[in-house]
Amino acid sequence: MSQTRGRGAAWNQHMGAYTPASTSGTRPVAFLGVAGVIYLDDTPATPVVIRRVSAGGRWSRRVAIPVAAPERIAALRAAFDIVWISEWGHNAHTAFQAELGLPAEPWPSLPVQFGKLDAIRRYAGDLAWAWIDDPLVMDDGARDAGGLIVRTDPRRGIAAVDVAAVVRDVRR
Amino acid sequence: MDTGTAYEFTPGLPRLELTQVGRGTPYGEVLRRYWQPIALSSDASRTPRQVRVLGEDLILFRTGRGSPGLLYPRCAHRGASLFYGGVERDGIRCCYHGWVFDTEGRCLEQPCEPENGLHRDRVRQPWYPVHERYGLIWAYLGPPDRKPLLPRYDVLETAAADESLITDGSGVGGGGPAFLDFNWLQHWENVLDPFHVPILHARFSGFQFSPEMALMPEVQFEYTACGVRSTQRRFLGDGRTLRRVTEVMFPNLRVVPSPRLKAGPTNILGWVVPCDDESFQIFTVAKDAAPDFLIKLRSTYGGKAWSELTPEEHQRMPGDYEAQKSQGTITLHGDDHLITTDQGVAMLRRMMAKQIRNVADGGDPPGVIFDGNDVIAIEGGNFFEDQ
Repeated sequence: MSQTRGRGAAWNQHMGAYTPASTSGTRPVAFLGVAGVIYLDDTPATPVVIRRVSAGGRWSRRVAIPVAAPERIAALRAAFDIVWISEWGHNAHTAFQAELGLPAEPWPSLPVQFGKLDAIRRYAGDLAWAWIDDPLVMDDGARDAGGLIVRTDPRRGIAAVDVAAVVRDVRR
Repeated sequence: MDTGTAYEFTPGLPRLELTQVGRGTPYGEVLRRYWQPIALSSDASRTPRQVRVLGEDLILFRTGRGSPGLLYPRCAHRGASLFYGGVERDGIRCCYHGWVFDTEGRCLEQPCEPENGLHRDRVRQPWYPVHERYGLIWAYLGPPDRKPLLPRYDVLETAAADESLITDGSGVGGGGPAFLDFNWLQHWENVLDPFHVPILHARFSGFQFSPEMALMPEVQFEYTACGVRSTQRRFLGDGRTLRRVTEVMFPNLRVVPSPRLKAGPTNILGWVVPCDDESFQIFTVAKDAAPDFLIKLRSTYGGKAWSELTPEEHQRMPGDYEAQKSQGTITLHGDDHLITTDQGVAMLRRMMAKQIRNVADGGDPPGVIFDGNDVIAIEGGNFFEDQ
């Protein structure tokens, strides 16, 4: 992945010690939450598989992953560079890589649990972006966000996201 | 040129909806849906006592009949504080003009008024319901129509013949003074951070608890119906595994079994009760045969009690108080870099956000009981198992 000029510096002013990896800098960015998106902690209303995921052996958790999640992620990858934006930080990729069929090279991650919109804007710069997340953490006000905000149903997560519509709408 | 200096750094902000406790604040309304311990039973006497809980200043007293009462301090007449009042058989008498209020705020006397106040029954001093249990005074500061039962806890309901309940308000588990002068959440969420134990409580300060606790654990985190649980496994090297279960239960209960590793289900429960946004107390109930069980439980630093340390020793041997207080009076959550070992903390913050929304939408938060079985089962403990 290539470094996008200026983006790391802008992020660094906000987050101090953390500089995330960059994307290609040429494709739109899909910012993906994890809780309520990749796994469900509300009672699922979509088929799920229960898996115990870990983060390098330090800890493990049982999570409910929508059966449709790998397919939705693959469709997103075809149109976007993907960036995790979650309290899971880089562990999102580590923990869900096998179950979601993710590439070995981890996607960039922004370790933010709340107040994500500012982080997204800073990271995306002038790239088109979509933010797919649980409404629980979308408390920033969505109007004039500068990108496409996709609120998941936390009982269905990414399984209920219309990826074709996201691809279409992010370019508007 | 390396531009990563502090010159351009802008500090982040606290996440106030998680930390604030006042009436009308997001989590303050969650806290108000539960009974809160506000004092030791022995604190309620015929001498009025000022208490601050969830940002509210109140007066605690015990009538001559033995009933505890908790009233708004400003007398409904013209505002003199009931702190200067006199406690009588049925209530508390304001020092200014002698109005008497019972424990539910009813005005019983207005001695300066004709016929002792013909309209006194139209006056109600603001009050809160209180109960006594486990040696504590519990108050319910929430909406009256949503008042739950005061729950019981299974680990405190049965005791061996030689065991008794021990009640403490001196900050057991806080690693510092009785009144802890920073935001309550910095302490509560620490319960779900088992990874700090081998660092803060061993590497930095010697074995504050026990050598076993210095081992880095493997942890399983899980949501429960009432909170978040952490199950930590430490492989002891002698064929045994220590399975230590800690948890938080909404809205502010800490279930932390003895860090000195008394085996079996926990015999200690602690409530992290905010006085206001910037201070809190820990009320602890333990069940043990030794009356000084909780005193012996407190961390020592090079053999010294926390209160005996010099400033240099505080710096050289920091404990929970030094770590959590130094995060700030209210920590700047916007500066956090949540990472692998913060999973439990992140789970708790997420569940808090959910319950804020749930309560704001008119729902009942987890663990409140309105009828039926009022006993809450506790899973925490230290369990030594053969591998």
